Amino acid sequence: MGAAPQQASPDQRVADFRKIFSRAESEVARVIVGHREVVRKMLTALFCGGHILIEGVPGLGKTLMVKAASETLGLSFKRIQFTPDLMPSDIIGTQVLTEADGHREFQFKPGPIFAHMVLGDEINRATPKTQSAVLEAMEEHQVTVFGTTYVLDPPYIVLATENPIELEGTYPLPEAQMDRFIFKVVLGSPKPDELREILSRTTGTTQNRIQPLFEASRAPRAIEDLKALVREVMVAEPLERYIISVIGGCTPGGPGAIPEVSQYLRFGPSPRGAQALILCAKVNALLAGRVSVSYDDIDDAIVPCLRHRLLLNFQAEAESVSSESILEQVIKRLRKPRT
Amino acid sequence: MDNPVETIGIASARIARLAAIRAMLCAVAPALTAIALGVLLKPIGNVTWMRLGYRLAPERAAMLSLALIGAGIVVLAAGLVMAFLAYRRGNDFVAAAAELDDRLDCDQEIVTFATLADPSAPESIRARRTPLFPILWRHAIALFASLDVRREFRLEVGEPLKRSSIFAGVVALAMVLATLGLVRAPTPENTEAAKLRAIAEEIAGTSTSSDDSALADKIREAADALENSKLPPEEKKERIEEAMQQADKAAQKRNNSQSGKNQGTGKSNAQNGNGAGKSQGHGNSAGAGIGEGKSGTGAAQNPGGESSGSGKGATGKDSGKNEGGKGSAKNDKNDQNKGDQSSIELHNELAKAEAQVETANANNPGPDNQPADDKHQGGGSQPDPNRPGIIPKPGANGDRNIPAAGGKLKNNKDMGSNLGDTHLGEMPTSTNAQRFLKPGKKGATVDIKDARYVMFRLPGAPSSGSGGKTVLDTDRPTATTGYVNAPLAPTSDDAPPDERQLVPPRYRDMIH
Repeated sequence: MGAAPQQASPDQRVADFRKIFSRAESEVARVIVGHREVVRKMLTALFCGGHILIEGVPGLGKTLMVKAASETLGLSFKRIQFTPDLMPSDIIGTQVLTEADGHREFQFKPGPIFAHMVLGDEINRATPKTQSAVLEAMEEHQVTVFGTTYVLDPPYIVLATENPIELEGTYPLPEAQMDRFIFKVVLGSPKPDELREILSRTTGTTQNRIQPLFEASRAPRAIEDLKALVREVMVAEPLERYIISVIGGCTPGGPGAIPEVSQYLRFGPSPRGAQALILCAKVNALLAGRVSVSYDDIDDAIVPCLRHRLLLNFQAEAESVSSESILEQVIKRLRKPRT
Repeated sequence: MDNPVETIGIASARIARLAAIRAMLCAVAPALTAIALGVLLKPIGNVTWMRLGYRLAPERAAMLSLALIGAGIVVLAAGLVMAFLAYRRGNDFVAAAAELDDRLDCDQEIVTFATLADPSAPESIRARRTPLFPILWRHAIALFASLDVRREFRLEVGEPLKRSSIFAGVVALAMVLATLGLVRAPTPENTEAAKLRAIAEEIAGTSTSSDDSALADKIREAADALENSKLPPEEKKERIEEAMQQADKAAQKRNNSQSGKNQGTGKSNAQNGNGAGKSQGHGNSAGAGIGEGKSGTGAAQNPGGESSGSGKGATGKDSGKNEGGKGSAKNDKNDQNKGDQSSIELHNELAKAEAQVETANANNPGPDNQPADDKHQGGGSQPDPNRPGIIPKPGANGDRNIPAAGGKLKNNKDMGSNLGDTHLGEMPTSTNAQRFLKPGKKGATVDIKDARYVMFRLPGAPSSGSGGKTVLDTDRPTATTGYVNAPLAPTSDDAPPDERQLVPPRYRDMIH
């Protein structure tokens, strides 16, 4: 299947987007059992131009999932296993002294961060210095080594994983850096049926192979076109106001903050949260065959977009109040006025 | 294929109109209720008077009526303002699109379209249209294909009327409470004035001449004066006298005209009666219950009736039936009797009113004898009948105010002393005491049933005559304790005294 050409009609572009998205999901599902929502969010983050933080215990297929997605879309893939002794240069690359034709010169050897899809496994095990090197690349889509700036080829997406257990010797990501991920998705354990399917697929002789949607040479361009299409989706002013009210409602002391927010939160989401909401809602609208965002599109995006941007206070920790429950309350309160 | 922008514009205008109508409906019912109650307050007061026996204080009722009408007008004006504001608020392109969106369940496609296609929006908003906008336009056209704006946005009056009726109920309740606050038990003056007004209305309703109208006006003036507490009694009486004179004049004219008619047609033209209220017991056969003529002799004495022939009047107590005249009465005899009856009734009521003024005057003789806040309506600080300070002492002139036994009242307006009054202000007319009558004879009984307290005096020691000698009656029981007036228990009833039919002063001499 070819990429949606820019010259195609708007209807055709929208139809192609839906088809590509659907097929990508199906292809990933050939090797990943279950986790359809996580796959969907991963693809959404890719088309939004954001990065995704995946939280889950080891052995749930995170690496396989990312690898399958990159293979499906024809994008390059690199994996970085974060460890406490990992240095920034191990990730972004370094100048290496090389000798050629009797001349010695420093040549830049790009690190594993130079790929379309980068999996940062257990990012919380690296030191903050190393983490920040990755996070800078995530934000700027470029790295600077010895004064030389190297641009990362689009599309660029980092999928970082966090292990919620074995937290000794880890460096939890600061909230400011968590804010750079468009989504945080939680990978749960497979259900019994899914586990049986996993066993049958992985312990037998037959192996499902993924059919790439794009040729590797054309894939980046095709993905970029689809990303452009996402940004063309229109948002009405009342819906923008709704998003603003959601952000305000989640900010302690903000306009329209609900009591639970003031009681359990130290900080609310930043403007990046609102950007993430709109982009995610636009993808949801396209997937629904619309070229304009609806309230439901926004509501579907609120929890994955904002759950990691809320900073709970001690009382919330003590009372086991989760950010998801607070967000559900916010949605419930704010949904009324518009219906 | 309709332009979706035009469709949204039409919907916007309709929504605005409906919003204005609904806002107006909310205000109309309470406003109309207030105005209607304000206008009908006087008839309501009349009904209260007729059916329940209570009256609305006229000045306050007038103020309340004006206030209600004013409030109704203000609410109406507020409704207009609210309607205007609702129209302005409702005439919003994007809001109308949002309303359409909700009704058609369009996932905010129409509102998005409206945001970007709003004709009144600045250019910067329209610049946000993307290459995908044509898809949105087509979707909007498709969604509006089966839309009928008039059917979709109907005028539903139920809800605003329900809200409005609640407000109207509040207004009515407030009015009822205000009315209850203004309701007063009528004073005798009010009662009398009301009767006079009723008579005036009757006269005015059946008036055929300017004299009747003038009479009705005079009666109304007298009624107003009777109720006006600021007018001095003299002026009230003057007004009543004027009304009486006017009534006499009207009766006289009627008599004259009737007399001419009788002379032309009847044989008997003697007209001894001279109208209602003026008869002195000379065979008035046209009395209305009070004309107790001794006997009518000779000609028919119907002042207004056309009776011919001669005959003997029936003895007294005619109550409107002309039994004195034999022969043929004309067809207008009944009408004439009715007129006479009204005339007599009018005179009676005027006389009562006059007596009422006199009574009130007697009870409120002046500021010197009254406590400052005595309103003569039962609620004021009247002298305490139990106070012990008015004990007549032997030899003192305390008996000066006691009517002399056997004497005749010099003035029939004597209301007695202020030591022993009845509550209508009249002391019983005492005649010779029983003990001075010959054995077997009974004197007139003294009606003291309404007295608040009775003062009596024990006879002093007999004085010696010219030929006799003083004999001390040692067997006579003597009081061992000092005697005082024994006042009755103070009444706890604050209600005004029952109305009593007073005999007009001019008839008092006739009654023994």
